[in-house]
Amino acid sequence: MPNKNGSVYGLTILSPITRSVHGSESHSLAIRQCLAKMPRDSESPFAKVSSTHMARLVVMDDVVFFGAPSHEEHLRSKYLIFESNFDGDLDEYLKRLANEARQEVHEVWRHCEGYPGLDDKEAFVRYMKKCQVETTFFFADVNDKTVEQTLQALQAQSAVAAFIEKNQGKPPEELQKAFQRFIESLQNARPQPPGSVKGKELADE
Amino acid sequence: MSILDPTDIQGFTLRGYTFPVARFLFLKISDTKKGREFVTELVSKLTTGEKWDKTHRPRTTVNVAFTYPGLVALGLPQASLQSFPVEFVQGMKARGAILCDVEKNAPQHWDRVWQEGPVHIWLGVYAESAEELEQKCAELKALAERSGGLVVAGMQDAAALIIDGQRSTKEHFGYTDGFGNPDYSGVDRDSQNGQGKLSPDGRTWLKLATGELLLGYADEAGELPPAPVPHLLANNGTFMVYRKLHQNVATFRAYIKEKAKLYPGGEKMLKAKFVGRFPDGTPLELSPDREDPAIVKDKSRNVDFTYGADPDGVRCPFSAHIRRANPRDAFGFHGQLINRRRITRRGLTYGPYTSECEPGDDSAEHGVIFMALNASIFRQFEFVQQQWIEYGNDARQGNDRDALLGRHDGKGKFVIPGTDDAGNPPFICGGLPSFVQLRGGDYFFIPSITALKMIGLGAVDPR
Repeated sequence: MPNKNGSVYGLTILSPITRSVHGSESHSLAIRQCLAKMPRDSESPFAKVSSTHMARLVVMDDVVFFGAPSHEEHLRSKYLIFESNFDGDLDEYLKRLANEARQEVHEVWRHCEGYPGLDDKEAFVRYMKKCQVETTFFFADVNDKTVEQTLQALQAQSAVAAFIEKNQGKPPEELQKAFQRFIESLQNARPQPPGSVKGKELADE
Repeated sequence: MSILDPTDIQGFTLRGYTFPVARFLFLKISDTKKGREFVTELVSKLTTGEKWDKTHRPRTTVNVAFTYPGLVALGLPQASLQSFPVEFVQGMKARGAILCDVEKNAPQHWDRVWQEGPVHIWLGVYAESAEELEQKCAELKALAERSGGLVVAGMQDAAALIIDGQRSTKEHFGYTDGFGNPDYSGVDRDSQNGQGKLSPDGRTWLKLATGELLLGYADEAGELPPAPVPHLLANNGTFMVYRKLHQNVATFRAYIKEKAKLYPGGEKMLKAKFVGRFPDGTPLELSPDREDPAIVKDKSRNVDFTYGADPDGVRCPFSAHIRRANPRDAFGFHGQLINRRRITRRGLTYGPYTSECEPGDDSAEHGVIFMALNASIFRQFEFVQQQWIEYGNDARQGNDRDALLGRHDGKGKFVIPGTDDAGNPPFICGGLPSFVQLRGGDYFFIPSITALKMIGLGAVDPR
């Protein structure tokens, strides 16, 4: 299935941006301003919608004409491109966007043609799916693990490295005890929040 | 293949000199006209790329390079100046954030000559003896000062280390240095297997495209590297990165000693894992357990290896310096991902060597003058420095930096993958301090002889 790779969904949505008429605000500029100010890292709307691996929002003005001999073509409107790699089902993901990143989604998509608003969640999901195009091919760095599993693995990797560094060379009995304590602390460790850049090291063994 | 004209290319660009002593003079220009006159007079003294034979080996060499402010001071036309790549225009200081030249490596810790306004000219002088070096430098200094429009603002001595009374190819940490530089198409030099790029069969080696080193020739992408106009200014020229790297010898020796207490392979093996070569130069990929002088001496073998048969890094760690800086086939695709990231190194040590029996000293004046040549500082040197030395993702080492050259704050780690073999277990070196600190440098343009004549005449015409 071209929109999926392993358990990860590669979503592509192209939403036509409302044409600006003389004297009114430029909708593409409004989107660009909104994107430029969008919070990042753990404050990002995509950190709130925690099943997102990676996402990108871009304004596409037109296709580029490189000059003869290429054929000159133009888009009928400007488009908002939304790319996202996420875990699970598409409908559910779009509903999570509408619920958990409500403000940002509305700030961006209110400049798009046909956007129904967020009061009627079903209508929003229908609208987004109408704008969907088949992804066909996407960069899938993590295919079979959820965001949560990936973050846990990174945390474990960094903790194991720290454990080895601290305990290498110890006699077997001492090492085994330390390892048991370590495994316990690893199991009880609080998961890292999505959008946190660096893996946090576990406190002591 | 382009036929190169070695009489038009500076010798330093085409070959690494093996003289025992060198001095780098840093000049500043105060008068455009006099600066040009100096360049004109200098041209006849320069060493070109012509091949030497045993009977015609010079006793000294002289080469010249300019920073962007140097070219401005020489009055190059605005249209030419504005056509130089942006990283060269900005200079190395301004690129600090990209290069990780921050904190202990930041410009406030650099030598004075780099702090007092921009250096304009680099003169590289190499010699067979200290006396001949003095004489040649005095001659050049007199030439500069006689012009009335230039001053020698600073200088840097460099020399091969003398260890136990013998001239050595080692650097201060005790590693044999200077193995292998890339081979380029058209450059007449004794080539060695392992020095160019891997051929599609993954075993034999081909020469890299000329345009990875020289401006005006096709590079590995079949494109001309970005270069200034007119082409006469750019052709046969290259860019040089000059970095003075201070070595914290005491910190390095103490760290290795401390970690080797726990590391079953012992001190020598631990040192080998850091670099990917034993101190005598034996590559771990070819001899993972012991130094082998026969390999080191054998030019057909000492740079001819790949990492394909060591996918877990149990011979040469992913993070070892040579595997990071020149990953060969480590990223797959028969090495094709790295062919546009190669640099040519022209390094030389400075300062006296401290015997291995002593703990060494961090504050003494000693280190390596690292000079790298490449057609694009942005695409080649800066990429290697940023992605492969100061970051670990391509080497599959997350945020880990190069253990030896990276900027550390006492928290970094170096992972040594291992096997079930008791002598080669996995090991993690934590709490890495900075072993190397930057003490200055800049980005330079090394023009061709033709370009130098045009610059001297004030005849660079970008139209």
